[in-house]
Amino acid sequence: MFFNANNKISELSYKIPAIVIILTAIGLFSLYSVSQHQGGDFFHSAFSKQLIFVIPSIIGFLLIFFIPRHIIHNYSYVLYVFAVIGVAIPYLGSHIAGTYRWINIGGIGFQPSEFAKWILILALARYLSDHNIEMRRITSVVIPFGIALIPTAIVLKQPDLGSAVIMIVPVMTMLYWAGSRPFHLFILVAPLLSVLTAFHTIPFTIWAFILAIVIFFSRPRLLFGVSLFFTNIFLGLLWPVIWNSLRSYQQNRILTLFKPDLDPLGAAYQIIQSKTAIGSGGFIGKGWGMGTQTHLKFLPVQESDFILSVIGEELGFISIMVIFLCFAYIILKILKMAYDSNDRYFSLVLVGVSTILLSHVFVNSAMTVGLIPVKGLPLPFISAGGSFLVSCYMMIGLILNIGDTSRS
Amino acid sequence: MLKAKNVIPKQRLIVFTIVVVISFITLIGRFFQIQVYQHNTYQTKAEANRIKAVMRNAPRGLIIDRNGKILVDNYPTYVLSCIPIEIEDKDALIKLISKLTGLDSLFLRQNYSKYYRNRFSPTRLAKDLSFQHISVLEEHKSELHGIQITQFPERYYPTQISGTHFLGYVNEVNQNIRGKISDKKQYELGDLIGWHGLEKEYESELRGDKGVKYIEVDAFGREVGNVDEYKDIPPNPGNNLKLTIDAKLQLLLEGLMSTYQGVAIVSNPKNGDILSYVSSPSHAPDLFTGSVSSETWSNILNNPGRPLVDRVSSGLYPPGSTLKMITALSLLDKKLIDPKWATTCTGSYFYGDRTFRCWNENGHGEVDLRKAIAQSCNVYFYKVVQRLTLTEWSETCKQFGFGKKTGIDLPMEKTGVIPTSDYMNARYGRWGWSKGVMLNVAIGQGDVLVTPLQMLHYINQIATHGNANLLHLVHKKPEEPSRRPVFSSKTWKRIERYLTAVVYDNKGTGKAANPNIKNVIISGKTGTAENPHGEPHAWFVGYGKKENDIVSVAILIENGGHGGETAAPIAREAFRSHFNNSALNIETSNSDY
Repeated sequence: MFFNANNKISELSYKIPAIVIILTAIGLFSLYSVSQHQGGDFFHSAFSKQLIFVIPSIIGFLLIFFIPRHIIHNYSYVLYVFAVIGVAIPYLGSHIAGTYRWINIGGIGFQPSEFAKWILILALARYLSDHNIEMRRITSVVIPFGIALIPTAIVLKQPDLGSAVIMIVPVMTMLYWAGSRPFHLFILVAPLLSVLTAFHTIPFTIWAFILAIVIFFSRPRLLFGVSLFFTNIFLGLLWPVIWNSLRSYQQNRILTLFKPDLDPLGAAYQIIQSKTAIGSGGFIGKGWGMGTQTHLKFLPVQESDFILSVIGEELGFISIMVIFLCFAYIILKILKMAYDSNDRYFSLVLVGVSTILLSHVFVNSAMTVGLIPVKGLPLPFISAGGSFLVSCYMMIGLILNIGDTSRS
Repeated sequence: MLKAKNVIPKQRLIVFTIVVVISFITLIGRFFQIQVYQHNTYQTKAEANRIKAVMRNAPRGLIIDRNGKILVDNYPTYVLSCIPIEIEDKDALIKLISKLTGLDSLFLRQNYSKYYRNRFSPTRLAKDLSFQHISVLEEHKSELHGIQITQFPERYYPTQISGTHFLGYVNEVNQNIRGKISDKKQYELGDLIGWHGLEKEYESELRGDKGVKYIEVDAFGREVGNVDEYKDIPPNPGNNLKLTIDAKLQLLLEGLMSTYQGVAIVSNPKNGDILSYVSSPSHAPDLFTGSVSSETWSNILNNPGRPLVDRVSSGLYPPGSTLKMITALSLLDKKLIDPKWATTCTGSYFYGDRTFRCWNENGHGEVDLRKAIAQSCNVYFYKVVQRLTLTEWSETCKQFGFGKKTGIDLPMEKTGVIPTSDYMNARYGRWGWSKGVMLNVAIGQGDVLVTPLQMLHYINQIATHGNANLLHLVHKKPEEPSRRPVFSSKTWKRIERYLTAVVYDNKGTGKAANPNIKNVIISGKTGTAENPHGEPHAWFVGYGKKENDIVSVAILIENGGHGGETAAPIAREAFRSHFNNSALNIETSNSDY
């Protein structure tokens, strides 16, 4: 457990930080282009703000990178409690842009949920590494979900569906990594799918078939399997009745979670404009600062959620490829570290972080090309957003700190 | 140190790797499809068929009086704006516009920087264009590249009434205001937002929702035509606001009050409808519409009468003798007084180390409770109030709603001051005050401060024996007050008889309030409130009953001297106007909520 900073730096793989810097630079490059036509004060533009946030990001990175790893392990639960309090604090303040996502510190908005994403991973990893023997029991699946559901529910209420999704997905991957039976994970997700598919006959029928097949091949005890199947079907059938008995404002509350409310102009319009921007960019793009979709303001929220559309339009498919390869490299590298790690706790943290990164990249990119509905999730290192940038750099600091297992 | 040796089956790493690879292949495949395979389709779309969504303003709701008469209307004005990116030479353009229309080029330039948001949004140069302006600009359209003339609904006041203190006004949204609005989607620079009075209180009702219009524009952002692919979302106009105000009565009272500084308010005590709401002096309701000349503005600001202040809901005054019913009711309720008991008024009363005076220096002679109210004898009240504690007295005040907001549907209302023992201790120290304060508060002087609106609610409670509802300006279901005064029906009736004596007795102080209309009975109380600003304030609060129809008034004339002489005659005109028109007014509109 000897701690030596020089050692650490000399053993550091330079590839991941280099790639992160490339991605940040691409982001700033595109934000500069966007900022040109936003009018107003240059020092308050998305570009300048992002540039300023690189400093706390690097500080955050160094901080996490140099903390002895056993401290991270020991304080996982404490950090978790702070994170839960953190995401609840914005409710004490005022509505900002219709949500409770922000804490205002000296005029700078700060989004605790961004940090809660990876702090939650630490707590989950701690639990799963401390209780590794009975992983094949269903109770060991339920408790981690409980740990994740507390911050998820608070974030969902903010409302921030995107972040809530990011908090719940790593639970699945980490449980699988820790050795849970995939069937148990399936049982937990099944009711949600039953409810979601219940609105239309065809998806519901398909879902019922999948459910039946999975249960059949997993060979649980007969009574358990049959009751599981019918509980789900019953829930699905009952849901429209429950739904209709809700008052309209309650229905609206649930719908607003799933409804994209980024812009009054409507989600279909956003997607069309985003696809047009990306498509018209072609293989090499229209050139930096030359995107008509971007600069004639057809493209909505271009500095954050739709930054990839700006890049697609101005810098072309070739740049998109570069970005995706960079992300794929980082994510696969983290997975490899997780596999090589001879410590269960660190291994699980690495898996969790890679899941967060993959989810962000996939949801954001798929949204810009209309593969999935509009969800407000930013692209790591590239989208404008101070808290998220700092949080991403801290995640990288974390994985570089614990990922290199040759020293333990 | 860290326990749990890690052994992960290779199979799991393979599963994860496959998921990651498939995710990225899906994304790259999709981007390839759009960017390379379908590039030409989207290229054409981006070049030739740009669809732009333009916000359309919703007209603001109208404000109408109880009989459907429009008090606040919308009036189309024409706005000249420009799209910065389309302008080649800004200075030359402004010079040309200035030459053609005669509008000051400095003014145009100031507007340009005031409304500028970005190169693509229309930036306002001038509004309220005249038809000459429009026609000359249209004539030279070919030389004026990048400008547009659009319609914009401005607030317009078709009646002669001012009503500005309750109607309020709208303000133009500027950079500063917009920064503070939470719902930015609904407000663009130059839009109107309720800034005072009902316009502010009912902003969300009046505003309506913006619509969206999709238009096709060319590569330079110029409008080419309409779009069929997207359905326009029509703007949803704001809701009209129906007031309880009676425009005719309002106009009458504004006229009568025009020579005074003060307040005249009329209401229906049963449901709380306010029929008239006059705060004088006032100003033209369209003062804040369009540009105000600095001369008008400094006149308003320097006017010693402070016309911008709404005296009705935020003017604080000593109520004077009009508050005597509080003392009388408390005493009767606690059986601390026999109404037949009489005492002698010599014009003054000595208590502690000072002399308390009656308004009638010669004295009222033998005075019982009836005479004390009808002729407003102070000495009688100086004597009897000593049987009450300050707490008992202030408790009765609170039952009538004093010391807190009446809850009227306006944004700024004051609470006034009702001294309690806590208040007195805090203000003068534990030993700094004595029972002597009771002598002052009994006749509505000393630390007591009320708003005219609270006085109206107070007289409404007396008129309805404690069944009055909250005062309001917008037609709606009556709301119950949080507290009601509770007294026996005998006590209520007794006070009512005495208030009638104020108007009908030979020596009653409120005789001037009697309109002499058959079957109409007027009850009320005058007040002459001493204040540090000179002549006493004149008060009259009262109500008239004709079968089921009740109407109440509260009149205040600042420094008007005796209430019976200046305030009561204005009340008389209000009663006269109301009961001569009552068949038309009240009966019809009581039922239709």
